[in-house]
Amino acid sequence: MSMPFVLSDTVNLAAAVVIGLFFGFFLERGGMGNPHRLTGVFYRTDFAVPKMMFSAILVAATGLCLLSDLKVLDMSRVWIIPTFFWPQLAGGALFGLGYLVSGYCPGTAAAGFASGRLDALVTMVGISSGTLLFSVLYPALEGFYKMSDMSTVTLPELLRVNHWVLLTVVYVFAGFMFYVMERHERRGRDPLAKKSLGAVS
Amino acid sequence: MKKNGFWSPYLAGAGLGLTLLASFIIAGQGLGASRAFTVVAGKAMNAVAPEYTATLSYLSKYLERSAFSDWTFLEVTGVLIGALIGALVFRGFKLRFDRGSSMSVGMRVMTAFGGGIILGFASRLARGCTSGVALTGGAQLALSGWVFVIAMFASGFLFAALFRRLWS
Repeated sequence: MSMPFVLSDTVNLAAAVVIGLFFGFFLERGGMGNPHRLTGVFYRTDFAVPKMMFSAILVAATGLCLLSDLKVLDMSRVWIIPTFFWPQLAGGALFGLGYLVSGYCPGTAAAGFASGRLDALVTMVGISSGTLLFSVLYPALEGFYKMSDMSTVTLPELLRVNHWVLLTVVYVFAGFMFYVMERHERRGRDPLAKKSLGAVS
Repeated sequence: MKKNGFWSPYLAGAGLGLTLLASFIIAGQGLGASRAFTVVAGKAMNAVAPEYTATLSYLSKYLERSAFSDWTFLEVTGVLIGALIGALVFRGFKLRFDRGSSMSVGMRVMTAFGGGIILGFASRLARGCTSGVALTGGAQLALSGWVFVIAMFASGFLFAALFRRLWS
Protein backbone atom coordinates (compact mmCIF):
# COMPACT_ATOMS: atom_id res chain seq x y z
CA MET A 1 0.00 0.00 0.00
CA SER A 2 1.24 3.46 -0.84
CA MET A 3 0.69 6.19 1.70
CA PRO A 4 -0.22 9.02 1.61
CA PHE A 5 -3.02 7.85 -0.66
CA VAL A 6 -3.24 9.11 -4.21
CA LEU A 7 -6.77 10.45 -4.36
CA SER A 8 -8.81 12.29 -6.93
CA ASP A 9 -9.47 15.95 -6.11
CA THR A 10 -13.12 15.26 -5.29
CA VAL A 11 -12.32 12.43 -2.88
CA ASN A 12 -9.56 14.46 -1.24
CA LEU A 13 -11.93 17.39 -0.71
CA ALA A 14 -14.62 15.12 0.70
CA ALA A 15 -11.97 13.68 3.03
CA ALA A 16 -11.19 17.25 4.17
CA VAL A 17 -14.75 17.63 5.47
CA VAL A 18 -14.64 14.28 7.29
CA ILE A 19 -11.21 14.96 8.81
CA GLY A 20 -12.46 18.40 9.90
CA LEU A 21 -15.52 16.78 11.44
CA PHE A 22 -13.38 14.62 13.71
CA PHE A 23 -11.06 17.57 14.39
CA GLY A 24 -14.00 19.72 15.52
CA PHE A 25 -15.60 16.92 17.50
CA PHE A 26 -12.45 16.23 19.53
CA LEU A 27 -11.78 19.96 20.03
CA GLU A 28 -15.28 20.42 21.45
CA ARG A 29 -15.08 17.26 23.58
CA GLY A 30 -11.75 18.41 25.05
CA GLY A 31 -13.40 21.68 26.07
CA MET A 32 -11.42 23.63 23.46
CA GLY A 33 -14.42 25.76 22.53
CA ASN A 34 -14.46 27.29 26.01
CA PRO A 35 -12.36 30.50 26.31
CA HIS A 36 -12.08 30.12 30.11
CA ARG A 37 -10.53 26.71 29.67
CA LEU A 38 -8.37 27.89 26.75
CA THR A 39 -6.87 30.77 28.73
CA GLY A 40 -6.70 28.79 32.01
CA VAL A 41 -3.22 27.58 31.14
CA PHE A 42 -1.85 31.14 31.22
CA TYR A 43 -3.29 31.69 34.71
CA ARG A 44 -2.23 28.19 35.81
CA THR A 45 -5.79 27.19 36.71
CA ASP A 46 -6.58 24.72 33.88
CA PHE A 47 -3.95 22.87 31.87
CA ALA A 48 -6.28 21.15 29.40
CA VAL A 49 -4.73 22.95 26.40
CA PRO A 50 -1.14 21.72 26.79
CA LYS A 51 -2.38 18.30 27.95
CA MET A 52 -4.53 17.87 24.84
CA MET A 53 -2.03 19.46 22.50
CA PHE A 54 0.94 17.39 23.59
CA SER A 55 -1.12 14.18 23.73
CA ALA A 56 -2.14 14.81 20.12
CA ILE A 57 1.42 15.63 19.04
CA LEU A 58 2.80 12.48 20.73
CA VAL A 59 0.18 10.18 19.16
CA ALA A 60 0.60 11.64 15.67
CA ALA A 61 4.41 11.86 15.89
CA THR A 62 4.68 8.24 17.07
CA GLY A 63 2.44 7.16 14.19
CA LEU A 64 4.52 9.11 11.67
CA CYS A 65 7.84 7.68 12.93
CA LEU A 66 6.44 4.15 12.95
CA LEU A 67 4.78 4.31 9.53
CA SER A 68 7.79 5.94 7.87
CA ASP A 69 10.22 3.40 9.42
CA LEU A 70 8.01 0.56 8.19
CA LYS A 71 8.13 2.20 4.74
CA VAL A 72 4.35 2.32 4.72
CA LEU A 73 4.20 6.11 4.62
CA ASP A 74 6.37 8.00 2.15
CA MET A 75 7.32 11.15 4.09
CA SER A 76 8.73 12.75 0.94
CA ARG A 77 5.12 13.04 -0.26
CA VAL A 78 3.87 14.56 3.02
CA TRP A 79 3.81 18.36 3.15
CA ILE A 80 6.30 19.28 5.90
CA ILE A 81 5.76 22.67 7.55
CA PRO A 82 8.68 24.87 6.48
CA THR A 83 10.68 26.87 8.99
CA PHE A 84 11.26 30.60 8.71
CA PHE A 85 12.80 31.06 12.12
CA TRP A 86 12.39 34.77 12.96
CA PRO A 87 8.97 35.43 11.44
CA GLN A 88 7.65 32.25 13.10
CA LEU A 89 9.15 33.19 16.45
CA ALA A 90 7.63 36.69 16.19
CA GLY A 91 4.38 35.31 14.77
CA GLY A 92 4.15 32.77 17.59
CA ALA A 93 4.72 35.44 20.23
CA LEU A 94 2.14 37.75 18.70
CA PHE A 95 -0.22 34.80 18.38
CA GLY A 96 0.11 34.12 22.12
CA LEU A 97 -1.07 37.66 22.82
CA GLY A 98 -4.03 37.33 20.43
CA TYR A 99 -4.94 33.98 21.99
CA LEU A 100 -4.87 35.43 25.51
CA VAL A 101 -6.86 38.55 24.60
CA SER A 102 -9.54 36.84 22.48
CA GLY A 103 -9.60 33.58 24.44
CA TYR A 104 -9.43 31.56 21.23
CA CYS A 105 -7.26 30.53 18.33
CA PRO A 106 -8.61 30.08 14.77
CA GLY A 107 -9.63 26.39 15.11
CA THR A 108 -10.95 26.74 18.65
CA ALA A 109 -12.92 29.88 17.71
CA ALA A 110 -14.75 27.72 15.17
CA ALA A 111 -15.37 25.11 17.89
CA GLY A 112 -16.50 27.83 20.30
CA PHE A 113 -18.92 29.31 17.79
CA ALA A 114 -20.31 25.85 16.99
CA SER A 115 -21.05 25.36 20.69
CA GLY A 116 -23.14 28.55 20.68
CA ARG A 117 -20.59 31.22 21.62
CA LEU A 118 -21.33 34.41 19.73
CA ASP A 119 -18.17 36.06 21.08
CA ALA A 120 -16.26 33.39 19.12
CA LEU A 121 -18.02 34.59 15.96
CA VAL A 122 -16.72 38.10 16.71
CA THR A 123 -13.24 36.61 17.03
CA MET A 124 -13.68 34.78 13.71
CA VAL A 125 -14.51 38.10 12.03
CA GLY A 126 -11.45 39.60 13.76
CA ILE A 127 -9.20 36.79 12.50
CA SER A 128 -10.45 37.29 8.96
CA SER A 129 -9.79 41.03 9.25
CA GLY A 130 -6.33 40.35 10.67
CA THR A 131 -5.35 38.22 7.70
CA LEU A 132 -6.50 41.04 5.40
CA LEU A 133 -4.46 43.52 7.42
CA PHE A 134 -1.42 41.32 6.85
CA SER A 135 -2.17 41.13 3.12
CA VAL A 136 -2.42 44.93 2.90
CA LEU A 137 0.83 45.45 4.85
CA TYR A 138 2.61 42.61 3.04
CA PRO A 139 4.79 44.81 0.77
CA ALA A 140 6.34 46.37 3.89
CA LEU A 141 6.61 43.02 5.69
CA GLU A 142 7.87 40.87 2.83
CA GLY A 143 11.55 41.21 3.77
CA PHE A 144 10.95 40.01 7.31
CA TYR A 145 8.41 37.37 6.22
CA LYS A 146 10.99 35.71 3.98
CA MET A 147 13.86 35.95 6.46
CA SER A 148 15.75 32.98 7.93
CA ASP A 149 14.41 30.39 5.49
CA MET A 150 15.41 26.98 6.85
CA SER A 151 13.22 25.00 4.46
CA THR A 152 11.59 21.83 5.81
CA VAL A 153 14.14 21.23 8.57
CA THR A 154 13.10 18.90 11.39
CA LEU A 155 14.60 18.65 14.86
CA PRO A 156 16.14 15.19 14.22
CA GLU A 157 17.84 16.60 11.08
CA LEU A 158 19.00 19.72 12.87
CA LEU A 159 20.43 17.82 15.84
CA ARG A 160 21.57 14.87 13.70
CA VAL A 161 19.83 12.27 15.84
CA ASN A 162 17.42 9.45 15.01
CA HIS A 163 13.78 10.56 15.20
CA TRP A 164 13.13 8.00 17.98
CA VAL A 165 15.79 9.65 20.14
CA LEU A 166 14.06 12.98 19.72
CA LEU A 167 10.62 11.48 20.25
CA THR A 168 11.83 9.89 23.50
CA VAL A 169 12.96 13.32 24.68
CA VAL A 170 9.51 14.70 23.83
CA TYR A 171 7.86 11.81 25.72
CA VAL A 172 9.99 12.44 28.82
CA PHE A 173 9.39 16.20 28.62
CA ALA A 174 5.62 15.78 28.14
CA GLY A 175 5.42 13.14 30.88
CA PHE A 176 7.17 15.42 33.35
CA MET A 177 4.97 18.35 32.29
CA PHE A 178 1.78 16.27 32.69
CA TYR A 179 2.91 15.14 36.15
CA VAL A 180 3.57 18.71 37.30
CA MET A 181 0.25 19.94 35.87
CA GLU A 182 -1.77 17.15 37.51
CA ARG A 183 -0.14 17.79 40.86
CA HIS A 184 -0.77 21.49 40.48
CA GLU A 185 -4.44 21.06 39.50
CA ARG A 186 -5.11 18.68 42.39
CA ARG A 187 -3.86 21.25 44.81
CA GLY A 188 -6.08 23.81 43.15
CA ARG A 189 -3.73 26.62 43.81
CA ASP A 190 -0.71 28.29 42.43
CA PRO A 191 2.57 26.93 43.83
CA LEU A 192 4.27 30.21 42.98
CA ALA A 193 1.82 32.03 45.25
CA LYS A 194 2.38 29.35 47.85
CA LYS A 195 6.10 29.82 47.68
CA SER A 196 5.73 33.51 48.23
CA LEU A 197 3.87 32.72 51.46
CA GLY A 198 6.90 30.76 52.55
CA ALA A 199 5.13 27.37 52.60
CA VAL A 200 7.55 25.35 50.49
CA SER A 201 6.64 21.68 50.40
CA MET B 1 -16.45 12.01 31.84
CA LYS B 2 -15.44 14.69 34.29
CA LYS B 3 -18.04 16.76 36.09
CA ASN B 4 -17.37 19.73 33.80
CA GLY B 5 -18.98 17.78 30.96
CA PHE B 6 -15.86 17.47 28.83
CA TRP B 7 -13.71 14.44 28.14
CA SER B 8 -10.30 14.00 29.68
CA PRO B 9 -7.93 16.20 27.64
CA TYR B 10 -5.62 13.18 27.24
CA LEU B 11 -8.44 11.17 25.64
CA ALA B 12 -9.60 14.05 23.44
CA GLY B 13 -5.94 14.71 22.59
CA ALA B 14 -5.38 11.10 21.55
CA GLY B 15 -8.45 11.36 19.29
CA LEU B 16 -7.10 14.60 17.85
CA GLY B 17 -3.69 12.96 17.30
CA LEU B 18 -5.28 10.05 15.41
CA THR B 19 -7.24 12.56 13.31
CA LEU B 20 -4.01 14.39 12.50
CA LEU B 21 -2.28 11.10 11.62
CA ALA B 22 -5.22 10.13 9.40
CA SER B 23 -4.90 13.48 7.66
CA PHE B 24 -1.21 12.81 6.87
CA ILE B 25 -2.08 9.34 5.53
CA ILE B 26 -5.17 10.29 3.56
CA ALA B 27 -4.39 13.78 2.30
CA GLY B 28 -0.59 13.96 2.63
CA GLN B 29 -0.90 17.07 4.80
CA GLY B 30 -1.74 17.94 8.38
CA LEU B 31 -4.57 20.00 9.82
CA GLY B 32 -5.10 23.71 9.30
CA ALA B 33 -7.44 26.51 10.27
CA SER B 34 -6.19 30.06 9.65
CA ARG B 35 -5.96 29.51 5.88
CA ALA B 36 -9.74 29.13 5.73
CA PHE B 37 -10.19 32.58 7.31
CA THR B 38 -7.81 34.10 4.75
CA VAL B 39 -9.71 32.43 1.90
CA VAL B 40 -13.08 33.71 3.16
CA ALA B 41 -11.76 37.22 3.87
CA GLY B 42 -9.97 37.36 0.51
CA LYS B 43 -13.07 36.23 -1.39
CA ALA B 44 -15.23 38.76 0.46
CA MET B 45 -12.84 41.60 -0.25
CA ASN B 46 -12.53 40.51 -3.87
CA ALA B 47 -16.33 40.69 -4.20
CA VAL B 48 -16.46 44.20 -2.71
CA ALA B 49 -13.33 45.73 -4.20
CA PRO B 50 -11.92 43.53 -6.98
CA GLU B 51 -9.51 46.14 -8.41
CA TYR B 52 -7.92 46.86 -5.06
CA THR B 53 -7.78 43.15 -4.14
CA ALA B 54 -5.96 42.40 -7.38
CA THR B 55 -3.14 44.71 -6.23
CA LEU B 56 -2.54 42.63 -3.08
CA SER B 57 0.09 40.16 -4.26
CA TYR B 58 0.01 38.15 -1.03
CA LEU B 59 -3.67 37.23 -1.43
CA SER B 60 -3.37 35.77 -4.94
CA LYS B 61 -2.50 32.26 -3.69
CA TYR B 62 -5.70 32.23 -1.62
CA LEU B 63 -7.91 33.31 -4.50
CA GLU B 64 -6.71 30.86 -7.14
CA ARG B 65 -9.66 28.51 -6.75
CA SER B 66 -13.17 28.58 -5.34
CA ALA B 67 -13.57 28.22 -1.58
CA PHE B 68 -15.38 24.93 -2.11
CA SER B 69 -12.35 23.42 -3.77
CA ASP B 70 -10.01 24.68 -1.03
CA TRP B 71 -8.96 21.80 1.24
CA THR B 72 -8.61 23.85 4.44
CA PHE B 73 -11.85 25.77 3.91
CA LEU B 74 -13.73 22.47 3.63
CA GLU B 75 -11.86 21.04 6.61
CA VAL B 76 -12.85 24.03 8.78
CA THR B 77 -16.44 23.64 7.58
CA GLY B 78 -16.13 20.10 8.93
CA VAL B 79 -14.77 21.50 12.23
CA LEU B 80 -17.92 23.61 12.64
CA ILE B 81 -20.16 20.59 11.99
CA GLY B 82 -18.10 18.22 14.16
CA ALA B 83 -18.00 20.64 17.10
CA LEU B 84 -21.73 21.29 16.73
CA ILE B 85 -22.38 17.53 16.85
CA GLY B 86 -20.17 17.20 19.94
CA ALA B 87 -21.90 20.10 21.66
CA LEU B 88 -25.43 18.92 20.79
CA VAL B 89 -24.94 15.24 21.60
CA PHE B 90 -23.26 15.93 24.93
CA ARG B 91 -25.57 18.83 25.80
CA GLY B 92 -22.86 21.48 25.72
CA PHE B 93 -24.65 23.70 23.22
CA LYS B 94 -25.90 26.99 24.60
CA LEU B 95 -26.24 30.36 22.88
CA ARG B 96 -24.23 32.84 24.90
CA PHE B 97 -21.75 35.69 24.79
CA ASP B 98 -18.90 34.22 26.80
CA ARG B 99 -16.57 36.59 28.65
CA GLY B 100 -14.24 36.90 31.63
CA SER B 101 -15.97 37.48 34.97
CA SER B 102 -14.74 41.07 35.19
CA MET B 103 -15.28 41.87 31.50
CA SER B 104 -18.22 44.05 30.35
CA VAL B 105 -20.02 43.11 27.13
CA GLY B 106 -18.51 46.13 25.35
CA MET B 107 -15.06 45.16 26.59
CA ARG B 108 -15.65 41.59 25.40
CA VAL B 109 -16.55 42.79 21.90
CA MET B 110 -13.24 44.63 21.87
CA THR B 111 -11.13 41.76 23.22
CA ALA B 112 -12.83 39.21 20.93
CA PHE B 113 -12.40 41.37 17.83
CA GLY B 114 -9.02 42.93 18.69
CA GLY B 115 -7.57 39.61 19.81
CA GLY B 116 -8.91 38.10 16.60
CA ILE B 117 -7.13 40.71 14.48
CA ILE B 118 -3.85 39.89 16.25
CA LEU B 119 -4.47 36.15 15.73
CA GLY B 120 -5.17 36.60 12.03
CA PHE B 121 -2.15 38.80 11.46
CA ALA B 122 0.14 36.54 13.53
CA SER B 123 -1.00 33.38 11.73
CA ARG B 124 -0.13 34.85 8.38
CA LEU B 125 3.26 36.02 9.64
CA ALA B 126 3.99 32.56 11.10
CA ARG B 127 2.56 30.76 8.02
CA GLY B 128 -0.13 29.08 10.10
CA CYS B 129 -1.66 28.81 13.55
CA THR B 130 -2.04 26.33 16.38
CA SER B 131 -3.38 23.76 13.89
CA GLY B 132 -1.18 24.26 10.86
CA VAL B 133 2.12 25.05 12.54
CA ALA B 134 1.95 23.98 16.21
CA LEU B 135 0.07 20.66 15.93
CA THR B 136 1.07 19.65 12.42
CA GLY B 137 4.66 20.91 12.62
CA GLY B 138 4.97 19.64 16.19
CA ALA B 139 3.95 16.12 15.15
CA GLN B 140 6.41 16.22 12.24
CA LEU B 141 9.09 17.23 14.75
CA ALA B 142 9.60 20.19 12.41
CA LEU B 143 11.56 23.10 13.88
CA SER B 144 8.77 25.50 12.82
CA GLY B 145 6.19 23.79 15.04
CA TRP B 146 8.35 23.86 18.16
CA VAL B 147 9.52 27.45 17.65
CA PHE B 148 5.88 28.52 17.33
CA VAL B 149 4.67 26.52 20.37
CA ILE B 150 7.42 27.82 22.64
CA ALA B 151 6.97 31.44 21.49
CA MET B 152 3.17 31.21 21.87
CA PHE B 153 3.18 29.82 25.41
CA ALA B 154 6.01 32.10 26.58
CA SER B 155 4.17 35.15 25.26
CA GLY B 156 0.82 34.01 26.68
CA PHE B 157 2.29 33.55 30.15
CA LEU B 158 4.05 36.90 29.97
CA PHE B 159 0.97 38.85 28.89
CA ALA B 160 -1.24 36.99 31.37
CA ALA B 161 1.03 38.26 34.12
CA LEU B 162 0.52 41.78 32.76
CA PHE B 163 -3.25 41.39 32.22
CA ARG B 164 -4.12 39.47 35.37
CA ARG B 165 -7.77 40.44 35.43
CA LEU B 166 -8.56 39.63 31.82
CA TRP B 167 -9.74 36.05 32.39
CA SER B 168 -8.89 35.06 35.96
